[in-house]
Amino acid sequence: MSKKITNNIRRLRFNNDEMTQQMLADVVGVSRQTIVAIEKDKYSPSLEVAFKIAEFFQEPLDTVFQYK
Amino acid sequence: MSYKERSIWVSLAITIYIWFNYFSTIYHSVQSQNLTISIMQSALLSVVIMTVVLEILHHIVIAIIDNKNANYDEDERDKKIALLGANNAYYILSFTTIVAVVHLLFPFMSHHIEALINLPNEYVIINIIIIGALIAEISKFATQVFYYRKGF
Repeated sequence: MSKKITNNIRRLRFNNDEMTQQMLADVVGVSRQTIVAIEKDKYSPSLEVAFKIAEFFQEPLDTVFQYK
Repeated sequence: MSYKERSIWVSLAITIYIWFNYFSTIYHSVQSQNLTISIMQSALLSVVIMTVVLEILHHIVIAIIDNKNANYDEDERDKKIALLGANNAYYILSFTTIVAVVHLLFPFMSHHIEALINLPNEYVIINIIIIGALIAEISKFATQVFYYRKGF
């Protein structure tokens, strides 16, 4: 079975005062639809966006994104 | 549906509508055996005018409907999807170039086409290029819509 990139962004948003997708999108500089696609594992973001998301939630990258 | 995806759907519809008009004009002229260079020129001129007018209208209407995103800049996902679309369009345009060159170098292979549409060879080549460019454009939009829907 091939590996894929998954993430915990939805949970992290929820734990971050139920932050909206639009707010996160504005912080990392992408569209809300891109955040939706990332959360649904339909799009793997660039390293830059991945680091921005992890930095925003103050979590290590491998806590936000997993490759399994 | 995102601003970008909506915009692509409308552009796809405009492209199909305009070129359907063009090819139906050419087809009817061929059927009635009165296809001339001036008919082709006026059909092409209509395509240019309609494209400019409809694309301007399209952007005005979408900006009014979705004014929050009217100044939307492409993000990295949009750019990747645009690249995938352009990639597919490139293959089709390359194939079209080969077909046009083969038509020029080996005219005996397409004698029946020239006999059918009764136009000088350069106008046959123009139409080969137009058909190829149209298929490439439709393929570009279709690829983009596909990846916006499916993800990648």
